[in-house]
Amino acid sequence: MADPASTHSGTLSADSGRTSRPPSATTAPPMLAALEVHRTYRFGQVEVPVLRGASISIAQGEWVAILGQSGSGKSTLMHLLGGLDRPDEGRGTIEFEGRAVNLGAGRSLDRYRNRDVGFVFQFYHLLPELSVLENACLPGLVGGWFGHARAAAARRRAEELLDQAGLSHRLRHRPAELSGGERQRVAIVRALVNGPRVLLADEPTGNLDATTGASILDLIAAQHAQGLTVAMVTHDATVAARAHRVVHLRDGQVVEG
Amino acid sequence: MYAALLSNRYLTSRVIPMIAVGAVALCVALVIIVVSVMSGFLDMLKASGRTLIGDVIVSSGVGGIPHYDEWLADLRALPEVEEATPVIDTLGLLRMPYPSGPSKEIAPVQVWAIEPASFARVTAFGEKVWWRPPTDDAARDAMLPEDPRLRMDGSILRDGLTLTQASTGRPGIVLGMHVSIGNARQSNGSYLPRFGWFMPGEEVTLTVVPVSESGKISEPRDATFPIVNEVFSGVYDVDKSRIFIPLAQAQQLLRLDAAPLYDTTAEPDGEGNLPLLGTTPARVTKVLIRAKPGVDALAARDAVEASWDAFVARAARRSDRLGRPPERVSILTWEQQLRDLIGPVEKEREMMRILFSIIHIVCAGLILSIFWSIVIEKTRDIGILRSVGASRLGILWIFLRYGLAIGVVGSLAGVGIAWIVVDNINLIHEAIGRDAPRAAWITTCALSVLSLVMALHSLAGRGQLLPGLLWTIASVTLGVITLALLGHRGTLIWDPSVYYFSRIPSQVDWFNAAITVGGGIVFSVIGAAIPAAKAADVDPVEALRYG
Ligand SMILES: Nc1ncnc2c1ncn2[C@@H]1O[C@H](COP(=O)(O)OP(=O)(O)O)[C@@H](O)[C@H]1O
Ligand SMILES: [Mg+2]
Repeated sequence: MADPASTHSGTLSADSGRTSRPPSATTAPPMLAALEVHRTYRFGQVEVPVLRGASISIAQGEWVAILGQSGSGKSTLMHLLGGLDRPDEGRGTIEFEGRAVNLGAGRSLDRYRNRDVGFVFQFYHLLPELSVLENACLPGLVGGWFGHARAAAARRRAEELLDQAGLSHRLRHRPAELSGGERQRVAIVRALVNGPRVLLADEPTGNLDATTGASILDLIAAQHAQGLTVAMVTHDATVAARAHRVVHLRDGQVVEG
Repeated sequence: MYAALLSNRYLTSRVIPMIAVGAVALCVALVIIVVSVMSGFLDMLKASGRTLIGDVIVSSGVGGIPHYDEWLADLRALPEVEEATPVIDTLGLLRMPYPSGPSKEIAPVQVWAIEPASFARVTAFGEKVWWRPPTDDAARDAMLPEDPRLRMDGSILRDGLTLTQASTGRPGIVLGMHVSIGNARQSNGSYLPRFGWFMPGEEVTLTVVPVSESGKISEPRDATFPIVNEVFSGVYDVDKSRIFIPLAQAQQLLRLDAAPLYDTTAEPDGEGNLPLLGTTPARVTKVLIRAKPGVDALAARDAVEASWDAFVARAARRSDRLGRPPERVSILTWEQQLRDLIGPVEKEREMMRILFSIIHIVCAGLILSIFWSIVIEKTRDIGILRSVGASRLGILWIFLRYGLAIGVVGSLAGVGIAWIVVDNINLIHEAIGRDAPRAAWITTCALSVLSLVMALHSLAGRGQLLPGLLWTIASVTLGVITLALLGHRGTLIWDPSVYYFSRIPSQVDWFNAAITVGGGIVFSVIGAAIPAAKAADVDPVEALRYG
């Protein structure tokens, strides 16, 4: 990817939607942004609007924490940002480097999830049949049918990152043999293995004790220090305090400060 | 890439897919075994059926084929034809030499009058004449000690092959193996004389009815022949009614020989003789043809047909009205001729094939249900894969690959099992025919007791139900097998002294095996496809909430 400004001046590939905002010569578009997104769940006749025009803008190199109570829609917002889910039909856009991601066909969404963002879940979500190393490599194996070269590169990078995360002695273990903190580290390595621009973490410490949680946050901080953009969701103000900027999710909307 | 990794991992890390592999293997093996044995029987039937008829059979009506020598010369000159031989077939009654006493039994027979030398070149008559001395020590050792063949010299075979009793110079008769009651079939497929009646050397009287060209039936005529040998074709219907006599004798008996024809409407001359119109040529009712090696029977048939048309056309140009060949004769290949014999068995085999193919669908259903439960169990994993960028097609491919692997491994294992069983089917058949060896039931009994001990141990020990249940099932199964082995009294399914073959065909029908394997794989993939599509449609967020 070139710098965001040139990205905006017409070199986009045809498969991405154009944004409705006019190009700006002075301010670069944010790395990742949600624009007026709505997300409503339906239970038969009853509609529950969880997000009601939520907007958030995450600049390159930023570490943003989204703070909100349980059930406020934090995960929903993260799923939208990560391309796992789409806003209600025609009600809001997700932009990555100035391009709408949720308008693309399924294929480009797969690519977005695979290359552009890395997702970390509260419950780690590792594949139990695969070893630590295989789990960490997974995004490198996914993108393409004949990606042997990419798979080898992903393997090298996974080994490197697992080493940094202090897991080099665990490569052949199954997730079930690991502690919660170790599993979450594997999940973070998996999220980073394809070299995404943004890390999306949905309550990454929510299932861990304070000390272990702190070490996870240290790991994220180390990656952030190397230039990674991070968006993190939490209901815990002390966790949120590690971020540069804290926003709140209230009544389906994002409020600054 | 990841699809291979995951489908292999799913395949090897659980037991249920192994059960699916086993089920596919057993289904495929069953189909291959049944169809292979049926195909073997069919081939055997075809082979025996064609032993005494050559490749192409030309049959005329009662009038017969005049100037057949001329046509035989035409036929022998054809590039497709190896040899041709004339035959007269008719029905007759055979007065048997038994019982002792003045009143004898009469057997209805199908008479084939042949020229033995050329007949043996067209058909396998030469190899099928039964009574002959053993050719080597191995053959001698295989015979029962009472077998009359052990005390024979070559003269009986020569008499059989020439249809002549050499010691007297008389024309002889060869009977099908079961025309007389004298031959008792043994369990090794050989024959011993029954009630002391050994046919060669005895005399029989054959009665036949001549029929004129116009279909008028004359007085029956008879002739007495010494039995010179017997013949075993392998088709019971043939062996119980076919007899062979020399062509010349049959032509005389049936008035099909060359004869002067007088004008019965004219006045006799001074010496009381009617005016001579000419000579009616000798006739035969059938011509059997052997095709040159490598020539297809249908191609030979077409050549024979063309030759017949030319022969008829040539005869029509001659003024001689007496030797006109019939316009129409039936010209059939051996397979067409044997339609009645082969047809029912072929249909049976197709029935079997269809019925057993349903097993494939059962396999597909089994795989479908196994995969369905795997997909449900793996919903969260599918969500994870989608969240790191796996496409729907990628997920589909994981499960299709998985089904493909089960189909391929299962089908190939099935071929292996089928091959082992079919290859040893005669041994298995013989083993079923004997009582179970003591070692077998003692072993299963001991294993059953052992399993029972293990069952009690695991139930008493950690109070775990599953291992206890499995050991109990093993114990009961082994116990039932022990009882079955104890109760088993040797019964041959196909007792060769009753059935007409002494060995079960043991050739795998590889063509059919290939089709069955293909079916096994295709149905496994179909069974996997439905759950695979369901897996591909899983919404990632929903799937992750699920876990
Ligand atoms: N797939 C779904 N179907 C129906 N309701 C949902 C679904 N996902 C989330 N919700 C509801 O939406 C609300 C917000 O959920 P979520 O985004 O998970 O909140 P948070 O992560 O802040 O705890 C909750 O009330 C939850 O029950
Ligand atoms: Mg949540």
